[in-house]
Amino acid sequence: MTTSTAQSQPAPAWLLQREVALCPCGCIGKRRKGSYVAKTLSGASGVLRQAMSSDDIAAQPGLLQRLDPRIKLVSLLGLLVTVALLRSLPLLAGAYVVTLVLAAASKLSVTFFIKRVWLFIPIFTGIVVLPATLSIITPGHVVLPLWTWHGQPQGFTEQGLHSAGLIITRVATSISLVVLLTLTTPWVRLLAALRSIGVPRMFVLIIGMAYRYLFLLLDTVDDMYTARKARTLGGGGDSAAGRRFVAASAGTLFGKAHQLSEEVHQAMLARGYTGDARSLQVFRLRRIDVVWTICAAAGAVALLLADRGLGG
Amino acid sequence: MTEPVLACSDLRYAYLERFAALDGVSLSVAPGETVALLGANGCGKSTLLKVLDGLIFPDSGEFHAFGEQVLEDKLEDEQFNKGFRGRVGFVFQNSDAQVFSPTVREEIAFGCLQLGLDRATTADRVDDVVSMLDIGELVDRAPYQLSGGQKKRVAIASVLVMNPEVLLFDEPTAALDPRTQFWLIELLHQLRTAGKTIVLASHDLDTLPELADRCLVFSEEHRVVADAPTGELLADHDLLLRVNLVHERSQLLRR
Repeated sequence: MTTSTAQSQPAPAWLLQREVALCPCGCIGKRRKGSYVAKTLSGASGVLRQAMSSDDIAAQPGLLQRLDPRIKLVSLLGLLVTVALLRSLPLLAGAYVVTLVLAAASKLSVTFFIKRVWLFIPIFTGIVVLPATLSIITPGHVVLPLWTWHGQPQGFTEQGLHSAGLIITRVATSISLVVLLTLTTPWVRLLAALRSIGVPRMFVLIIGMAYRYLFLLLDTVDDMYTARKARTLGGGGDSAAGRRFVAASAGTLFGKAHQLSEEVHQAMLARGYTGDARSLQVFRLRRIDVVWTICAAAGAVALLLADRGLGG
Repeated sequence: MTEPVLACSDLRYAYLERFAALDGVSLSVAPGETVALLGANGCGKSTLLKVLDGLIFPDSGEFHAFGEQVLEDKLEDEQFNKGFRGRVGFVFQNSDAQVFSPTVREEIAFGCLQLGLDRATTADRVDDVVSMLDIGELVDRAPYQLSGGQKKRVAIASVLVMNPEVLLFDEPTAALDPRTQFWLIELLHQLRTAGKTIVLASHDLDTLPELADRCLVFSEEHRVVADAPTGELLADHDLLLRVNLVHERSQLLRR
């Protein structure tokens, strides 16, 4: 008879006794700050979940949501190029205001929209352009003196501030256009639109699957961290232990992801996949798409002509 | 005697050429039959199902489906591949691996579109399967928004939509709540009545009489140690104990 022998062993004595959280004095302990690992993991999963659940916004009955995703993709890309070519600050500011109007017309919360766009600008663009506003990089008329150098006032120059304003407004408008596109288009339709404008099928398929499995992997990471936290005493403030955990988790996750990818591939093969994925999605152009295309094209041409006229 | 739909002889397979999963397994499944592969964890049931679906290929031994030998080279042939994939459907144990498309509708349509069905026919079939499995409210959802039971339904829908003659299920009732389990058992009944051939891997003996006519029992040494009708097999407590399908304290032995 072959039955499990492990179960017939008696449980060790310590397992049968009560222990107060393994601490000899039985104290409860004191409150500690969460480790950087906890913050990073919970932050990453929270932000990603929030960002990726924007499909709800895309389902609202707004102006941009009604457009064919292909038209929206191409027209917003066209506007993006136009914005990149503009050299007049008032025109760029005007274009930015138009993006706000489009956000409102698409039933997006303007405050949320502005926050989402401006959250990254100070971090990425602000730091880059800040030195350019100073007289040591961009010489010119100093409007806000900060120090003197050989008797000359040094500080923010008019020319520097203008250049910085130009770059920041251009970046803000460009990001606004991209955010408009991603917030008003469900991910699936955006991928299908990418495919229909000639982005290789394999590339679109890989992005789609990466998006789908990101959630699963996030859940796994979350579970792994929660399981560790449940067995950790003292709040996990030890950063060396944190680093060891991250390294070990990355390894485990890699193994799991590899195993899953193999199974997914088998599941695809089992249903006839031979390297060329087909989709059910079909797009149809409507009158609103034509009107939008004409408006977007006219807007882009008008902006470029006005820019040239202003001699920007 | 009718020709078997699936026939294997002396299959041997080892993962990484080291860890044996099948050790001289032979099997024959007649059309319309429902066969359960029984055995403890890691005995080779899932591996055999993958061989039967042409996803992995044995190190030695032969596998024939619908009278044709299934080989890796042959599955490279488009015509053979479409014929085989269209006639054999596989519901994986891990629904997360099987539900990979961005939406449920795309997921269910995947197989038909891959096999060359046009969009209109595929869409009609998807609608039919969706209403049959009562998952209408899920079609526009993303897989990450589904519960385990819902994912299982979607995975089954994505296979049924192809209308395969042979259905392979890996642990179909594992990790499902009782309502979903019995929904699945009812569905398998319907499929049996419709004449489908079903091979399923399981170690859940409670639902077995409802699921299969015949059982193949695997030992923990990856060999088939019994091939008998379900009722007969469930009465052989010594065998069930030996292959680690029940424990001395299992409810089944007390009945």
